Amino acid sequence: MREITYAEALREGLRQAMTADPSVFAIGEDIGVYGGAFGVTAGLLNEFGAERIIDTPISEAGIAGACVGAALTGMRPVGEIQFMDFVTLTMEQIVLQAAKVRFMFGGKASVPMVLRTPSGSGTGAAAQHSESLENWFVHVPGLKVVMPSSAYDAKGLLLAAIDDNNPVIFVEHKLLYKTKGHVPEEMYRVPLSQTNVVREGKHVTVVATSVMVSRAVQAAEELAKEGIELEVIDPRTLKPLDDAPIIESVKKTGRALVVHEAVEMGGFGGEIVARIAGSEAFDYLEAPVRRLAGLDIPIPYNRELEYHTVPQVENIVREARKLARGEY
Amino acid sequence: MPIPIILPKFGFTLETADIVQWLKHDGDSVRAGDPICEVTTDKVNMEVEAPEAGTLFGILYEAGATVPVTEVICYLLRPGEAKPENLPVRSTSAETSPAQPMTTPSSAGEKSAKDVSATPVAQRVAEAAHLDLSRVQGSGPGNRIMRKDVESALAQPPGKVRATPAARHLADQTGVDLMTLAGSGPRGRIQAADVQAVTARQTYIEPIYDTPAAAAVAHDVPTTHSSDSATTELPRKVKLEGMRRTIATRLQKSFQTAPHIFFDAQIDMSGIERLRATLKARSEKVSVTAILVKACAGVLLRHPWLNATIDDETINLWPTANIGVAVALEAGLIVPVVPNAERLAMRAIQSKVDDLATRARANTLKISDMMDGTFTISNLGMYGVDRFTAIINPPQVGILAVGRSVRQFVPDAEDQPVLRSFMTVTLSADHRVVDGAQAAEFLQDLRGVLEEPSLLAW
Repeated sequence: MREITYAEALREGLRQAMTADPSVFAIGEDIGVYGGAFGVTAGLLNEFGAERIIDTPISEAGIAGACVGAALTGMRPVGEIQFMDFVTLTMEQIVLQAAKVRFMFGGKASVPMVLRTPSGSGTGAAAQHSESLENWFVHVPGLKVVMPSSAYDAKGLLLAAIDDNNPVIFVEHKLLYKTKGHVPEEMYRVPLSQTNVVREGKHVTVVATSVMVSRAVQAAEELAKEGIELEVIDPRTLKPLDDAPIIESVKKTGRALVVHEAVEMGGFGGEIVARIAGSEAFDYLEAPVRRLAGLDIPIPYNRELEYHTVPQVENIVREARKLARGEY
Repeated sequence: MPIPIILPKFGFTLETADIVQWLKHDGDSVRAGDPICEVTTDKVNMEVEAPEAGTLFGILYEAGATVPVTEVICYLLRPGEAKPENLPVRSTSAETSPAQPMTTPSSAGEKSAKDVSATPVAQRVAEAAHLDLSRVQGSGPGNRIMRKDVESALAQPPGKVRATPAARHLADQTGVDLMTLAGSGPRGRIQAADVQAVTARQTYIEPIYDTPAAAAVAHDVPTTHSSDSATTELPRKVKLEGMRRTIATRLQKSFQTAPHIFFDAQIDMSGIERLRATLKARSEKVSVTAILVKACAGVLLRHPWLNATIDDETINLWPTANIGVAVALEAGLIVPVVPNAERLAMRAIQSKVDDLATRARANTLKISDMMDGTFTISNLGMYGVDRFTAIINPPQVGILAVGRSVRQFVPDAEDQPVLRSFMTVTLSADHRVVDGAQAAEFLQDLRGVLEEPSLLAW
């Protein structure tokens, strides 16, 4: 099967959705002429024209508000927030309007919009262009939150998100845009709320999201040389969460490590740990459930400090090895 | 740091146990789960197992010694670990009857603290709190005990045990008392594997007799011959160890120390069959075993010398009948107990017997299900056995071996043939306690009840 990048997979998914359904359109800063800050929408302006690939002024509140309004009138907008940091400016529209309209109108209205946005550090973009704020949205009833970790999932989940009649926050990762993977050409969907067991193993369950999935897989490959088998699990959709495969896995391994880039304090890892501890997997635990996540500081500009602020492969290796060896 | 091996607390009321024999000796290498020594209480013989692989050293008590539970009895060196310079000493002076400490007892307290590597501050904190450092798992380089390890050990509330949820779950299912285990996890935390090590060998069950199936689960010992023609004529060798050894030792001891006397009685079961048929017509089921438990319990209270246990010094005459029921398993035979059977209605006995048998087969019996039996019934009637003799389950003094029921024509009062159902039971009694006439009276009484089942109601 052909290999394309995560960014190309997203573009292909968006193109297929827009071709198949005239109500789908894209809106965001520099997505037209410039092709998007990370090139996801490159070339789409020529294909679909300025009415369906809409460049906006620098106003995230405007992008989000336009999406909510268009969705309420029957369109399927795909908004882009250039950096996840600037979802801060969309919050009123997303949290108070998009998430609640369907409930407050008794189901008579819905907001079938997707808000795409790249999260994460590793590009030297400093504290205001590197945040991972997915858990802010996880905490809001009425929103769905998706975090694809591969090119294949990126396209399949984007198409499923566009199909969905609820507002979906679609969290991409800057470091993943150029990673390649096998992606079918047809218009396939990866269903929302379907947790993926990326790699099977018997010693430690590693639940990872976004860019941490590939880091966990690399860690698993290193530890396999020592005879330690990690089971790597990617929830893919953070909300609504399909936790059954995670619980099943922990029942098998008895040990769990949750890895994400976002700050550990108040992060999504706490939710996973609580699901495990509150489930029947509790009876099978052989060690405390551990988290490995971002430090509780703004992402530093200094590249060395930035590197050490979020989990890297070697951190996952060390932490998983300690769990497997019974050192916790 | 060498791993201390303690005398496990096999039951709630157990205070001390006697060491029967050491199965492993100083310098022997052992695998995890290997029996190290055999110990006995007034109830059962059990084996203390190696919690992990290593080399045995520092045996602190000789065979015959009476040792308080949870006392360290020996140590295990981990693979590659050197023997410490200071040999271990006993932590308390147990009953010194035939046993003398094998090591020179010199200033016990100080020595044991020096056996382990700890930072000065850790030693000071431990000393102030009277904490035995040998029970603390070190987290520093070379497992050195750091201050935080001592503080963490002290933070453990008294009466609480450090165990993983998996270990607790397993212990709950199998009835293992976590307090009796030494944990192999960090800071001495009990892991599921530590519980499994206990349950896998079923050291707490009371096997009575030999079965070929039990032998099959023991470890095969490879023969030295390898040519095909030779092996076909050689026996398959199975090492006598673990549960099989326990069975062998107990039965041999019982049969050699208790002079067995045997009494057969053929009992007319026609009345019982009518009773069962009546119940069956009402969709109620009562087994012959349950009826025998009920009948024996009532009768035993009138014959206290058969409802007894014996130890070296004393005969204990029990005021209640706790009837053991032999249950055959793949791995051997165990005898769960129906306690206070004389106080239970037939229906309650039936459900208790069913419950015990089910849990015996599921391997989820607790040690409390096997404690304090005063008499045992072994029913092999369902296998078509006509009659057999059983070996007494020590320290009890009587066991009833039950054969199948057979229909026979017998003459009635007018010498006309009538069809009746007969069952042969064989009582084995310990002649040290039970006289022939007492045994005969017991059987006569039992026959009376079984032939007139309405007496069961009394």
